Amino acid sequence: MAVFADLNVPASPDRKSLQKLLEAAAHLGYSTVAINHVIDFKEKKQEIVKPVSPSELFPSLPIVQGKSKPIKIVTRLTLVVSDPSHCNVLRSTSTNIRLYDIIAVFPKTEKLFHAIDRGIYFEVLYTPAIRDSTMRRYTISNALSLMQICKGKNIILSSAAERPLELRGPYDVTNLGLLFGLSESDAKAAVSTNCRAVLLHGETRRTAFGVVYTKKPPRPDEEEGVLPVRKKAKTEA
Amino acid sequence: MSGPLRRLGETPRHLLVCEKSHVRHERSRHAARVRSHAYNCCVSFLIPECGMLPEALKNIITNIGEYYLVKNLSLHELVTHEFINAFVKKGKLIISVDKDTYEELGLQGRPSQYSGKKVMRYIVTIDLTDSAFDLGSKKHKRVLWALKEKKPLEFDFLLSWHDTGAEGSTLMSYFSKNQIQPRQPKTTFSTLRNLQCPVLHSNELQGKLEESCSSQELFEWLGAVFNKVDLDNKSFSFLSTYCCPQPSTVVEQAYLCTITGFILPETIIQLLEQLCCYFDEPKLAQWVTLTVHGFADSPVSWRESEHGFQKGGENLYNFVVFRTLDYWLQMAVGANDDCPP
Repeated sequence: MAVFADLNVPASPDRKSLQKLLEAAAHLGYSTVAINHVIDFKEKKQEIVKPVSPSELFPSLPIVQGKSKPIKIVTRLTLVVSDPSHCNVLRSTSTNIRLYDIIAVFPKTEKLFHAIDRGIYFEVLYTPAIRDSTMRRYTISNALSLMQICKGKNIILSSAAERPLELRGPYDVTNLGLLFGLSESDAKAAVSTNCRAVLLHGETRRTAFGVVYTKKPPRPDEEEGVLPVRKKAKTEA
Repeated sequence: MSGPLRRLGETPRHLLVCEKSHVRHERSRHAARVRSHAYNCCVSFLIPECGMLPEALKNIITNIGEYYLVKNLSLHELVTHEFINAFVKKGKLIISVDKDTYEELGLQGRPSQYSGKKVMRYIVTIDLTDSAFDLGSKKHKRVLWALKEKKPLEFDFLLSWHDTGAEGSTLMSYFSKNQIQPRQPKTTFSTLRNLQCPVLHSNELQGKLEESCSSQELFEWLGAVFNKVDLDNKSFSFLSTYCCPQPSTVVEQAYLCTITGFILPETIIQLLEQLCCYFDEPKLAQWVTLTVHGFADSPVSWRESEHGFQKGGENLYNFVVFRTLDYWLQMAVGANDDCPP
């Protein structure tokens, strides 16, 4: 069965509510969840803080329904950019950025769309569509425009759920994807395969520059390790 | 916005194959079809105009053998020659794996047929009774190494076995060290009252206007009955506007029995045979149905056809047996599936 992921769960200082959200996500069948920290440069100078390690925040992770493994948590940073100069921070060697598993950019102006590189994925959030009927219209019409441009490829669907009630199960989100103009298989990929690709892409960004990824094998006498396998997985991500 | 939204009016891809024949016809393939669909999790039969379970059917149901649950069984145990010699007369091990597992496993396989541009699923087929797989052969050594050392895979298994009574160990004794647990299939019975049933004529598969219903209409009606959906489109019902297909009759009672578990094809053939014998004596019913569901996440449907799970893993077949012992066989699959045989 496919592995489902929800790559946008807003970080909140309230640990209990975040724990409840994680339990709800694990119950619905999501194997991976990304906790999103949003930085808006328009507001007064914001520092990119080091993300708190998920294992410190949550000592015991809930088990995903249908699998026997606990839910996996990754960290994500979203930069709200309205000016091309804000993008410079991405290229800086600030160590804090490297600590995040996924980096996302929220462009506020059309100019910035052109500044975006290849190999990235576009995200469509679904909770605005749940909360408000006007937002629902905008979400659907924006999503349809996006689909016309990118033909349904490289899209991920995620919640920006602040409460457990705003989360929806992976197959429901897949059906919502149909409303956004995706095909059946594209909609399922938007919640599973494409999210996996985003995570792998994030890994290659952090480790040496995406060409070679070595992992120390558990046994000292094994020479090859898992190098050939990993390399193959990355280049196809 | 016609392009993307056009798809909303379409249902997900699904296939329904209908064929008709006679049970006693020498070239009837009903037994072969049942035998080639190995992984069955639910069997139901519906007998209109019947209030009580016939004795013969009751006997079969009470004698359905157990199936077994083994937790945390390593996959390599199924490719050892002791296992193959004891239980597998002729067979293949088919493993459906995702991309990461396939690359870590290192065995030869082919991409899933339903992959699209990015292959995320691979199917590895190992012929266990092929001569190339004999004890000590290179192939056997490699498979054993891959499953034992390179990527040990452990799963909970449901096992079922047609015991021909020959000598040798049983499943219980072979896996005794794995804490094998026997399970009994669960059976539920119910009598439906005042049920609207479609009128069918055995030689009119497509139905005939105002005379009989088509096989597709029967298939949908049967689904509605199993799901306890109202058949008369009451004005206050918001859930369903489904109506029983016309022409229809109202039967006072109908007997519905459902068996869930891991059920062998041989049991299904016995049930089918007994349902045919139901008509040995004159009965009010014009036809009876037997429906078999496969496991939603099974890697194969009929024989070795790949079975995929897109949003639902339906693979099922349905017999409609008439008084004259003519029958209709309908086989249905979902989105990521080959056409049934």
